[in-house]
Amino acid sequence: MRIVCPFCGERELGEFTYLGDAKPVRPAANASEDEVFDYVYLRDNVAGETSEHWYHAGGCRAWLKITRNTLTHEISSVEPAAGVGAAKVGA
Amino acid sequence: MAEFSWLSRSPLEHALVVGAHGARDIEPGISLTEIRNFDLIQVMARRGKAAELANATKARFGMAAPDLPKAVSASDATLIWSGPDQFLVLSKGGKQTMDILSQAFSQSASLSDQSHARALISVSGTKARAMLAKLSSIDLHPMAFPIDAAAATSIDHTSVNLWRGNDRGDGQAVFNLLVFATFAESLWHTMLDAAAEYGVDIRLSEELG
Repeated sequence: MRIVCPFCGERELGEFTYLGDAKPVRPAANASEDEVFDYVYLRDNVAGETSEHWYHAGGCRAWLKITRNTLTHEISSVEPAAGVGAAKVGA
Repeated sequence: MAEFSWLSRSPLEHALVVGAHGARDIEPGISLTEIRNFDLIQVMARRGKAAELANATKARFGMAAPDLPKAVSASDATLIWSGPDQFLVLSKGGKQTMDILSQAFSQSASLSDQSHARALISVSGTKARAMLAKLSSIDLHPMAFPIDAAAATSIDHTSVNLWRGNDRGDGQAVFNLLVFATFAESLWHTMLDAAAEYGVDIRLSEELG
């Protein structure tokens, strides 16, 4: 598998580290115990397109948000995660 | 209070032996040169300050820092792309030190002195690409990796900043590598192993290529 880093270009998988599901959003400070439990522990086991965080550890050290199909490993989009660089993308 | 005396020494001090290595009785296909005593500053834009950093860089160096994986030469420094909104300033002779640059970038960037934290190795020769191809997945063909091209990548699981400098006098390409000091000896041995079959000419230099 190769990933096209938006900053570095196409690189081998070995340069990247998988963080996990990019979907969970941190609940508000006053959220219920169920919401926090869901955020911390519960994950969907998707057969199809998922959104994931990857880290380009062996390259530019940027966090990336990747849309990947778990059935085919096809990657349909790679974008900088929130707050990458000084641009403050989405954060 | 105790007085400390700090001596800077190259991380390759023990590993590097100037002279010939590997295959003999042939013209060495690889030239490996360690460049010592350089100034290296990491510059990273503060959040939301990328535009200010760009202006400060132009004011300081008379040119923009690369916003793509490239290394560009200013009059007395090389600016090497190292990631989004960040770059390395490589220079010699105390012209671009932490003291000087921290004033120039005080409003826009965070700086970190890496002068003694990295080793700088220059690879050239007729077999330089063949040797690097054993270790790196980067396409170093002249069409894909021209002069001034740069990459933040991994060689032998070790993070490096790799860029192509100006060609040697004989037209051979020159690839420069910055590697973390504590990984330098390991990478050096790996490169010697990869280069041995082509014959290696090992040198030391105080001059940036």
